[in-house]
Amino acid sequence: MALNGGHGFGPGYEGREVFWNAHSYEAVLFFFTAIALVIFAYGIYRRWRMWKALGLPENRTDKAGERIKSLLVNGLLQARTFRESYAGIFHGLIFFGFIILIFGAAIDATQFHFGLPFFHGSFYLWFSLVMEIFGLAVLAGVILAVIRRYVWKPDLLGYRGKPDNRPDDAIVLLLIALIIVTGFIIEALRLHVNVNVDGFTWEHWSFAGYLLSKTLAGVDIGTTMTLHKIMWWGHAALALAFIAYIPYSRLLHIITTPANHYLLSLEPTGTLKPIEDFENAESFGVGRLEEFTWKQIFDSDACTRCGRCQDGCPAYLSGKPLSPKKMIQDIKEHWEDRAAKILAAKALAKKSGGEPEIPEPDKMLVGEVIDLHELWACTNCMYCMENCPALIEHVPKIVGMRQYKVLMEADFSPELQLTYRNMENNSNPWGIGAHLRGEWAKELGIKTLAENPDVEYLFYVGCAGSLDDQGKKVSTAFAKILQAAGVSFGILGEEEGCCGDSAMRGGNEYLYQTQAQMNIEVMNGYGVKKIICTCPHGYNALKKDYPHFGGNYEVYHHTEIIAKLIAEGKITLKKPLEGVTTYHDSCFLGRYNGIYDQPRNILKSVPGTRLVEMRSNHRKSFCCGAGGARMWMEEDIGERINDMRTDQAIEAGAATIAVGCPFCLTMMADGIKDRGKEESMKSMDIAEIVWRSMDLEKATTAEEAKEE
Amino acid sequence: MNIVACVKQVPDTEALIKVKADGSGIEEGGIKWVMNPYDEFGVEEALKLKEKFGGEVTIVSVGPARALETIRTALAMGAEKGIHISDPSLDNADAYNTAKALATAIKGLSPDIIFCGMRAIDDDAGQVGSVLAELLDLPSVTVVTKLEVEGTTVKATKAIEGAQVTYETSLPCLITAAKGLNEPRYASLPGIMKAKKKPVDVKDAAALGITVEPKAKVVKMTPPPERAPGKKIDGADPAEKAAKLVKLLREEAKVI
Repeated sequence: MALNGGHGFGPGYEGREVFWNAHSYEAVLFFFTAIALVIFAYGIYRRWRMWKALGLPENRTDKAGERIKSLLVNGLLQARTFRESYAGIFHGLIFFGFIILIFGAAIDATQFHFGLPFFHGSFYLWFSLVMEIFGLAVLAGVILAVIRRYVWKPDLLGYRGKPDNRPDDAIVLLLIALIIVTGFIIEALRLHVNVNVDGFTWEHWSFAGYLLSKTLAGVDIGTTMTLHKIMWWGHAALALAFIAYIPYSRLLHIITTPANHYLLSLEPTGTLKPIEDFENAESFGVGRLEEFTWKQIFDSDACTRCGRCQDGCPAYLSGKPLSPKKMIQDIKEHWEDRAAKILAAKALAKKSGGEPEIPEPDKMLVGEVIDLHELWACTNCMYCMENCPALIEHVPKIVGMRQYKVLMEADFSPELQLTYRNMENNSNPWGIGAHLRGEWAKELGIKTLAENPDVEYLFYVGCAGSLDDQGKKVSTAFAKILQAAGVSFGILGEEEGCCGDSAMRGGNEYLYQTQAQMNIEVMNGYGVKKIICTCPHGYNALKKDYPHFGGNYEVYHHTEIIAKLIAEGKITLKKPLEGVTTYHDSCFLGRYNGIYDQPRNILKSVPGTRLVEMRSNHRKSFCCGAGGARMWMEEDIGERINDMRTDQAIEAGAATIAVGCPFCLTMMADGIKDRGKEESMKSMDIAEIVWRSMDLEKATTAEEAKEE
Repeated sequence: MNIVACVKQVPDTEALIKVKADGSGIEEGGIKWVMNPYDEFGVEEALKLKEKFGGEVTIVSVGPARALETIRTALAMGAEKGIHISDPSLDNADAYNTAKALATAIKGLSPDIIFCGMRAIDDDAGQVGSVLAELLDLPSVTVVTKLEVEGTTVKATKAIEGAQVTYETSLPCLITAAKGLNEPRYASLPGIMKAKKKPVDVKDAAALGITVEPKAKVVKMTPPPERAPGKKIDGADPAEKAAKLVKLLREEAKVI
């Protein structure tokens, strides 16, 4: 073929030959592509069998519309990945770069095979430019990733300061980089010929390849053509290797992570699926891997070890053995081992015609694969799930395994046993006489529903609000706000029981359900429709979990109601709040229920408020340490979580830590004490701050007024 | 090993106790009933011995219909069967008659070892265990905090003022359990479910062939006097407040 003859391109009809210098290779390339695809398909098939090998059934394919939306938002648009700037950007560069390049390669191949005339004129020029840019984007992405993983080495990519870099990580980055680099080299070699022999004048549109081709000055055309052939095959081989390597490497996440986006839970955040039949079930919770649902197991194959879960996990950061990333990886390793053995046993049985003899696991899931200290360190704060770009669901797995320890083995910490006994006997975690529940309200003239059921709201006070000294102050402040605003409400008094959240999250589903059913029976008996909770744990349980047992109510958190009363002008805030204030997001308000703004808006409505944010806030907020039944357990490993959070408030220069949760209130107060800051700092509930600012409290003596 | 553990249903320590207007006893409405905590130590020790030596644990309780719930609690912890002695004549019976009923029911079981709580937290009598041992003509060690059984030898330790003393006796015998003996287990959910189907033999006084002739009876029950409210001392300065406090402590409280 003549080098300069018959290409027909020229100014106004810019373009290039596709498969230039490689015309006769199409069939060979197709052959190798077929081999790569077979290797890919076999890998996926093998994985598919492993996904199907074990796990309980669960429906995650209903409501296709919502699932496709998640796939588009989280997969195609990378919404969650972009929440982190550095990692989001480099992943975006590689991801979008690859999509465009694959698209470009497809246009190339189509044009060549079908002889479709895409490649000329301004379309060609712009196409060249775009491909150039995205090629560089991928390269830039890889460089950023390499710098982060191998130079910067952030802890989230490792575990406790030790990097967790596997050969696979390097191979994948190298593969991507080489595909791009060889692509540019081919282009440079071609341009060297196109410019010098064919007289192309539009080469600068392919600016990167063109610049690279400048280095070839003086290389003779024959050598260039040979080098081009070699590089062309090198590039093709790398691209095909990439495809074939997908199912056998971390590249599998190209498939499993979007699949996980599609298979997302459509339940409200943090809802736990109730155990349904206590009477007839033979086992409860998850003691063995196969007691997870297939989706819970599949989750672990969607994990890319990005470590975002670990990066803000209060248990991990305070030095406890739990890392959500490690947990998911440990489950994955266990699953790979179990699935392979189960499949082998089934294959053997098929051959011999008997029943498969499935070997016992080498390691117990609970206690060995997942250490018990890991299991009980979780505060259910939802940081991991809220920040996982793959939508992996860590918390329900932990609760499932806790259920096994509590319900099946009754093997758990003595402090928690005492808490549960207290809840059984007196329906509160402290075991204070159940008849004392309504005492706090007596002086305030608040009626119970038994006395007057004809009210708009039930104020579900909760255990802390009813029985804890600090909690009672919050209940009192909030009740006074409601009274001042003329809101019609009542309480259940002695008839109220514990919401059961700590039992549920501590794995005692049976106790939780007895508490929930007791409350629902009472509330439904009074025809309750609207409920206000001052404790986010009760709020979350009543709102999301009680509907499973026939308790359907409109449930509000007191910050929602106070924000509404302020907006409607029903209450006026007068007295200024001195000093700097910071707001601590309760996990069960923020990440669980998306209530971030109302508490902050309330604080901003208080005259003179100087509101600052702590280092961790909103959905990346740091737990106080009390969720997930941790409130009732000793914290004897690592640093105290509440002290770490208090340090963040100190660092922010706050004098007041405003909270919207009685657990957080206690934890922050303890943190302030531990840090010896009682003189200069205090923790207060939003309701207390608002009631104080309303300035309606009649001081009893002149001295007390002075103390204020 | 054939083991018996006696349990009593008592009001929860946190329950609000109201004395009946006629002083004959307490109002039972609204009370949360639980297993006497000392009996729980007995049940736990019985279960531990069973797990070590095999055999079965029988729970025996004297009490009205509601006491069945407490027997089920012990069955949920792991005991095999229950005997519920329920007869109106035994409601609020004195220690002797309670022990007599228990002895009659237990005799036929010919147990190797019997556990009772050191006392019940409701009436604090602390007699049933010892009387029962006497009626069954068994050796007994009371207020036990540590127990070792080897062959038929029993070593039981109890705390006395400033020391610990270990007694040696032999099976069959009766032990009354004290705090420190063990940590009672939390019942597993399958345990709770199975307990609902375990056999409980209900017997009244006639079935046992006993008649209740009280040796002691409650004459009158009165609530403790209500605590007087606290007093707040006002004064212009700390010196004046201190002076007032001293005066009150001397003249009203008569403590200095």
